[in-house]
Amino acid sequence: MMAQVAITLNVNGRNQTTLAEPREILADVLRDRLGLTGTHLGCEHGVCGACTVLMDGEMVRSCLLFAVQVQGSEITTIEGLEENGELHPMQKAFSEYHGLQCGFCTPGMILAGIDLLKRNPDPTAEEVRDDMGGNICRCTGYQKIVESVLGAASEMNEVTS
Amino acid sequence: MTTTEWIGARAPRREDPALIRGRGRYVADINLPGTLHMAILRSPMGHASINSIDASEARAMDGVHMVITPDDIPDHVTQFPVIWRLPGQKDSGTPALAEGKVRYVGEPVAAVVAESRYVAEDALDAIDVDYEPLDAVTDAEAALEEGAPVINEDWGDNVAIHHVFAGYNALGECHYDAETFDNAEVTVRGRLKIGRHSGIPLETRGIVADWDEVHGRLTVHSESQVASLFRTELAASLGLPETAVRVLTPNMGGGFGNKWDRYPEDLLVSIASMELGKPVKWIGDRREGLMATVHGRAQVQEWEMALQSDGTILGLRGKVINDLGAHLHSVGIGPAWVTGAAAPNQYKIANYYCDVIAAATNKAPSSTFRGFGGPEGIFGAERMMDKAAKQLGMDPAEIRRKNMIQPDQFPWFNAAGAVYDSGNFPECLEKALEAADYDRLRAEQAELREQGIFRGIGISSYIHVSGFGPSPILGYLSYYTGGYEGSTVKVDPNGKATVYTGMIPMGQGTETTLAQVAAHHLGIDMDDVRVVWGDTDQTPYTGFGSAGSRSNVAAVAVIRAIEEIKAKAIRIGAGMLEADADDLEYAEGAVSVKGAEEMRSVTLAQVAQQAYWAHALPEGDQPFLEATYVYDPPNFTTASGCHVVVLDVDTKTGKITFQNYVIVDDCGPVINPLLVEGQIHGGVAQALGGALLEEFVYDEEGQLLTTSFMDYLLPSFTDVPDMEIHHVVTPSPHTDGGFKGMGEAGTFPPGAAVANAVTDALSHLGVEADELPITPSRLWGLIQEATG
Repeated sequence: MMAQVAITLNVNGRNQTTLAEPREILADVLRDRLGLTGTHLGCEHGVCGACTVLMDGEMVRSCLLFAVQVQGSEITTIEGLEENGELHPMQKAFSEYHGLQCGFCTPGMILAGIDLLKRNPDPTAEEVRDDMGGNICRCTGYQKIVESVLGAASEMNEVTS
Repeated sequence: MTTTEWIGARAPRREDPALIRGRGRYVADINLPGTLHMAILRSPMGHASINSIDASEARAMDGVHMVITPDDIPDHVTQFPVIWRLPGQKDSGTPALAEGKVRYVGEPVAAVVAESRYVAEDALDAIDVDYEPLDAVTDAEAALEEGAPVINEDWGDNVAIHHVFAGYNALGECHYDAETFDNAEVTVRGRLKIGRHSGIPLETRGIVADWDEVHGRLTVHSESQVASLFRTELAASLGLPETAVRVLTPNMGGGFGNKWDRYPEDLLVSIASMELGKPVKWIGDRREGLMATVHGRAQVQEWEMALQSDGTILGLRGKVINDLGAHLHSVGIGPAWVTGAAAPNQYKIANYYCDVIAAATNKAPSSTFRGFGGPEGIFGAERMMDKAAKQLGMDPAEIRRKNMIQPDQFPWFNAAGAVYDSGNFPECLEKALEAADYDRLRAEQAELREQGIFRGIGISSYIHVSGFGPSPILGYLSYYTGGYEGSTVKVDPNGKATVYTGMIPMGQGTETTLAQVAAHHLGIDMDDVRVVWGDTDQTPYTGFGSAGSRSNVAAVAVIRAIEEIKAKAIRIGAGMLEADADDLEYAEGAVSVKGAEEMRSVTLAQVAQQAYWAHALPEGDQPFLEATYVYDPPNFTTASGCHVVVLDVDTKTGKITFQNYVIVDDCGPVINPLLVEGQIHGGVAQALGGALLEEFVYDEEGQLLTTSFMDYLLPSFTDVPDMEIHHVVTPSPHTDGGFKGMGEAGTFPPGAAVANAVTDALSHLGVEADELPITPSRLWGLIQEATG
């Protein structure tokens, strides 16, 4: 067994310190050490995107990072999106447009959608498909995820305009 | 929503609030105190005998609690059986660990239980297995040849079954006539191949077993799609009474049939937990998911169609060779049997014959996958329709029109024994053609070709015989389960309802659908209905638990239980209203006097209170307001429809670009349009994966070459087109509500529709897209061959 090291992260706005082995991936630390099981593991080799989280505001795959690599970073997981009891418009849109079925890819999809709208607040359907191609869904056939992201975009643009 | 007309409403899903917050609870999320973690040592070889296994080093490692080798498995533990055992089918089951030899890459050889998954995997490296390689066979046709390496010695050869559909329909009539084929004006032949692929739920398989030594109880947190049967089989294999086993199924990250089966790891975690007295958890990784979760679909088909020169089909006969993999899994050769039963499809084909042969190969077992052999049968039928049209110089739509079963010909007894209950096949076809603007597409096609745009139009009609099924028929087919679904509905003293179902949701929105049906029939708000699922201690035993049997079997059980509740409410209401029960009716959540000028009624809540107080119950009635109904359907339901695909082929690269995808679906009345659309979209996307991208590739030694998502390609956002969905509604004549199964139907036609479209696009070259998946490299190869 390997020696454990202390890792401090700001997760969903709160500083947290946990012990972990240097070989533990970020996803395992989030899930097993910090109890944030909303981050899912679908492939553990960086293809499916289910484990997507935001690191210092940027989208990353938590299965491809060792937790020790991200020491001191700000991490946002699906559990951190709700503010003051209010869901993020992307979360609401996924439900409204039936952008999820089994829900396993959904946390990653929602975070990828949020990341996209940060860079491109008013995307076309084609742009959504191109941009989110790194996240795999096995249930929906994607069409209703595209509708969800477009729906969230128009909702968010209405609020800001 | 303020309505009691819940059936047909686009009701929001009650599953969503937890899932969009990351608060779903999947098996991997379950962390019981003291949990130990299992990792599995898997065969690195396709075929080898095991001389010895030395686990002494692994057993001595820090943090390792147990190593399971075949010698560590208690003698009383038995293999999981095959539950579909057709006459003449060889016998084999699913063992916990390979017994003396390995038969496919990924077969479990040993297991380690340790304090963490990381440590367990470390210990796998310390186990020394001495293998003696054996000749492998990975091609199903080669496996049938004389002298091929025999994979299961007790079988004598690699033939798991040779089952013949000799043309008998359900009335016992046989119209197979070989002479017609010899004398036909037109004979069309085709040899088709479907690649090995599978459901690949994004959540891998996993299981937690928790043995309570004090009470002698094993609680299993599993993703089984059929928890009742799983409980029965797990108890039997472990030598426990069934009352000692409780199966809990939390959220499931997709199942697609793959999680219907029983697996070695289910036994291994249970054995370990019972030995160690601690919870033991195994969560498969993706590599394990690809190599050791059941595969599906792989077939070679050879067909011969006899026709008159006017396009009238006189007969269809053929051979289906199923690449079974190393051994029979939970459903035996079931899917290949269904292929044989489905191949007559929507057409008036009485003269039918089909040899179904399942061949063992050194590959992962092939078993349950959404569609269950049906999509393979439709692929065969619909490719042959297009081949016939081409040979006759007919339009592919026209040959279908000419041979379709007509709306007034139901029930239709197909020549493989299936009974189609209802449908309107021509209307589905015409509606799809119209929506796709078929005539214009055909008119434009030649012009586009002049411009170097190779556009193809592909049609595929389909039937989906859903709702497994009448139990006596399952018995007749040697299927060792029932086909019923039961439901208990309880109305609480406050008038709110709880529905208990044995159905296991996999993501389809089962909870929402059943709540809609219950609210509709009780005439109450949907929020006043709770649905309980996923606990064999609480929910009714379920029969088949799959095969599109949620809306047409499980929902009917809910409706019938509610009918009993309503009847009792009227009896109780009669006393409360001082009226004769015959003068009362139940509607909108209340019992009222029929046709009374002044509204005289009592609400469901008032009736329920009386039912629980029991101060003045009608004679013969017991307290409570609840009922259980177990519904065993009198027949299967026949969903049907038609897909039309429009796509362009880039002849330089073999790349396909979709231009349009039109779907007409007839699943009878729709309970929730939102969810039906989602099911169709997902089913089509999954089938497009198998049509264009997905394939498990093995080399000649049985080495699996596609063990990551870099090699096994799932369709992504840019691979799946937007789909346009239309409905035709032909209610099933024999289910309450007329509902038909629809969760699988999306997977049936895409393979043929795409292959037909590609063939159509390249008709000037004579390319026939007869092998799935039509990957760019495979298609490019065909184009090169055709152009020299």
